Amino acid sequence: MNNSELWQSVLAQMQFHISKANFATWFKNTEIISKKEEKIIISVPNAFSKEWLSNKYNKLILKILHDTDESIKDLDFIIEPQLKGLLIKSNNIENEKTEDAQLKFDEFKINKETNLNPRYTFDNFVVGSFNELAHAAALAVADNPGLTYNPLFIYGGTGLGKTHLMQAVGNKISDRLKKEKVKYISSEKFVSAIVSAIRTNSMESFKASLAPIDVLILDDIQFIAGKNKSQEEFFHVFNSLYEKNKQIILSSDRPPNAIPELEERLRSRFEGGMIADVSLPDYETRLVILKTKTKEKGVDLPEEILEYIATNVKKNIRELEGALNKLLVSSKLNQTIDLETTKKLLKGFIFSPFDVANYKKIIETVAKFYNLDEKSLFDATRKKEIVRPRQIAMFLLRKELKYSFPAIARKFGGKDHTTAIYAYKKILQENEENNRLTEELNLIKQRIYSG
Amino acid sequence: MKIEVLKENLKNGLCVVERIVGKNLSLPILDNVLINTEDNFLSLSSTDLEAAIKFWILVKIIKKGKAVVPAKLLSNFVSLLPNEKVILEEKNQSLTIECKNFKNQIQGFNPEEFPIIPEFNNLEYLEVDNEKLCYGLSQIVDIASPSQSRPEISGIYFIFSKNIVKIAATDSFRLAEKSITMEGVSAKGDVSFILPQKPAREIINILSGKEGRVKIYFSPSQTIFELPMKEIQHPAVQITSRLIEGEYPNYEEIIPKKFKTKLTLRRDEFLNQIKAAALFSGKINEVKISVSAGAKEVEISSKDYDVGESHSNISAKIEGEAIETSFNYKFLVDGLLNIKSSEVIFELSKEDGACILKPVGDASYIYVVMPIKAT
Repeated sequence: MNNSELWQSVLAQMQFHISKANFATWFKNTEIISKKEEKIIISVPNAFSKEWLSNKYNKLILKILHDTDESIKDLDFIIEPQLKGLLIKSNNIENEKTEDAQLKFDEFKINKETNLNPRYTFDNFVVGSFNELAHAAALAVADNPGLTYNPLFIYGGTGLGKTHLMQAVGNKISDRLKKEKVKYISSEKFVSAIVSAIRTNSMESFKASLAPIDVLILDDIQFIAGKNKSQEEFFHVFNSLYEKNKQIILSSDRPPNAIPELEERLRSRFEGGMIADVSLPDYETRLVILKTKTKEKGVDLPEEILEYIATNVKKNIRELEGALNKLLVSSKLNQTIDLETTKKLLKGFIFSPFDVANYKKIIETVAKFYNLDEKSLFDATRKKEIVRPRQIAMFLLRKELKYSFPAIARKFGGKDHTTAIYAYKKILQENEENNRLTEELNLIKQRIYSG
Repeated sequence: MKIEVLKENLKNGLCVVERIVGKNLSLPILDNVLINTEDNFLSLSSTDLEAAIKFWILVKIIKKGKAVVPAKLLSNFVSLLPNEKVILEEKNQSLTIECKNFKNQIQGFNPEEFPIIPEFNNLEYLEVDNEKLCYGLSQIVDIASPSQSRPEISGIYFIFSKNIVKIAATDSFRLAEKSITMEGVSAKGDVSFILPQKPAREIINILSGKEGRVKIYFSPSQTIFELPMKEIQHPAVQITSRLIEGEYPNYEEIIPKKFKTKLTLRRDEFLNQIKAAALFSGKINEVKISVSAGAKEVEISSKDYDVGESHSNISAKIEGEAIETSFNYKFLVDGLLNIKSSEVIFELSKEDGACILKPVGDASYIYVVMPIKAT
């Protein structure tokens, strides 16, 4: 006879000895949690039940137990609140709620132990040609952490679902095997933790806190660039986890070889596993994403409106969601949403390349991408690390904005227009020969148009 | 049991313990108060199986014993008695009450049926000035909201660290935190627990206005708030409560450190203008706070298609950039009502980020509120 059967038989007999009200009050949520030799331990939901059972019914329960199983000679009660059942129910309640304009503290949705947001799962991740490789790699990692692709490196522009994908892996692993410890950290937090560990002289305990982790997820790893001490510490953390076959998942806005000021030994480690990119979703996928989101939020929008949003909001998925949210909020206020009001409401979201790509933006993005000051692009210098970005900026001004060569030359401190022509041709040619440059150009363009 | 007690004392005690007595259909014994004799004291106890209240009165004991009688009935009756000596006598589970011209008998229950109020052996406690505690709790307690899905944030979080106790509550839209300096010994290490909202309210109701230091005892599943008698070393009243299981979210992360704009405003005027704008705020209670660049005034506005619109200006000390943010006016009013200083600081952070309301000249209170999504 197992514990639950034993307790059922006790309850069955207790019913005859006490009133129904008492039975319901005091025996609710009780169970036998362990049976060691002669001693039975019963869990009760609260201190009142414990007092009552141990003072009033102790003898009776022990007698019944002893009658059923002669070896039992002792009895104890411990308090064990019934939380688990409640929690499972709760998730469902939360999901039913529709989105409201009132904002909440996001931090509360996050699981304290893993830092994961349970909202991000594979189920609500829309797969298209632009992210299927990353999705497949993430699924493989979730099924077999530490063994298939280690580390998994996901890169792509902002708002395209990197964080969603990584958190989905974390959520899947931590849901399935409770024993595996998952930890999600944004690189910014990781760096500040290292800095404060250095300041308080507690580097050892910081490292010790990372040692038992089975799956480490670091978001936006490019932030570690240029921070030498952090890179060094991360290098050690990476190695110690990697040696023990612990899964590491990283994300960045660009591939490892395009992250400036990244130590070579880290770069090669990042490249040692699987590198997958996510890019901009196509029209069909945007439509599917919109449909998934509206379904999640339990609202119905006419097809033509969704199509309008999908055609016109192209920047990234976050924007897409923002546009949808805006519609939902105003639909709550003045009910009807038709194509006309949609057009009016989404003015700010509608993507027009002429607005987005301008001189300032190109200079800013290029400078940022190469970790330079905007000013230094205009310096009269032939340093290699400046010449190249300058040429790229000139190239983009010509290619994207159709600036005339003399105009470009004037912008760059009155250079000769032949310098601009040379720069344009050089980059154009190299673009065809050098894959790395193509990659960089694509990323810069993506950023110009999505920022 | 037979005792002599002053009517006023008995009435006070019954008023306190009957607070958590409700109509309990599944376990009618909970509608009662347990009257017991302990040394030279009469103790009154009540419970709803989540919290328990125990109240002691110094009395003359003629014969020891116990009685369990309906709490509301006894309390209502005693309050009608003349202000004289009352004699309580229990015989065969019924309680006879004699006072001057009155002689009444209330049918009671078997004291053995009354739930046993759990006690625990942890004799270590921390002390807080009662009035400070009650005032601080009252600034916090209404922020928590009953939540089935997140039981841990439905309560009031207490964290004792060195000689400071911080209490915090949130409903995930806003959060309030109060710091109180402790009296006597400091906490050993960090100790924390989550007290359910209902007993927290009872603590305020029962203890406020009374002088002295509250002793706070705790075990992993329970806590006791105890106020001693003024005259002698003995507890006057004890509120025992279960604690909410679970880990309170790391709320300090929510409190923003950086701001875009900082406003210093006159509290009464600000509150008044928000209330005025609230009348025109429409379905989602949206009131907009706008600061334009270089301005010396803050504009408070609201608009509803059916009702009309409202605009008002309030002079303020403005530091930082121009900003426009909308709030649910109820949340702003709640925060301002909990602040008593004549001036308030209102710190607005980046778009869609948390904002802070706090009194000028009092660092112990902070109220964090989330805006309404910008439209």
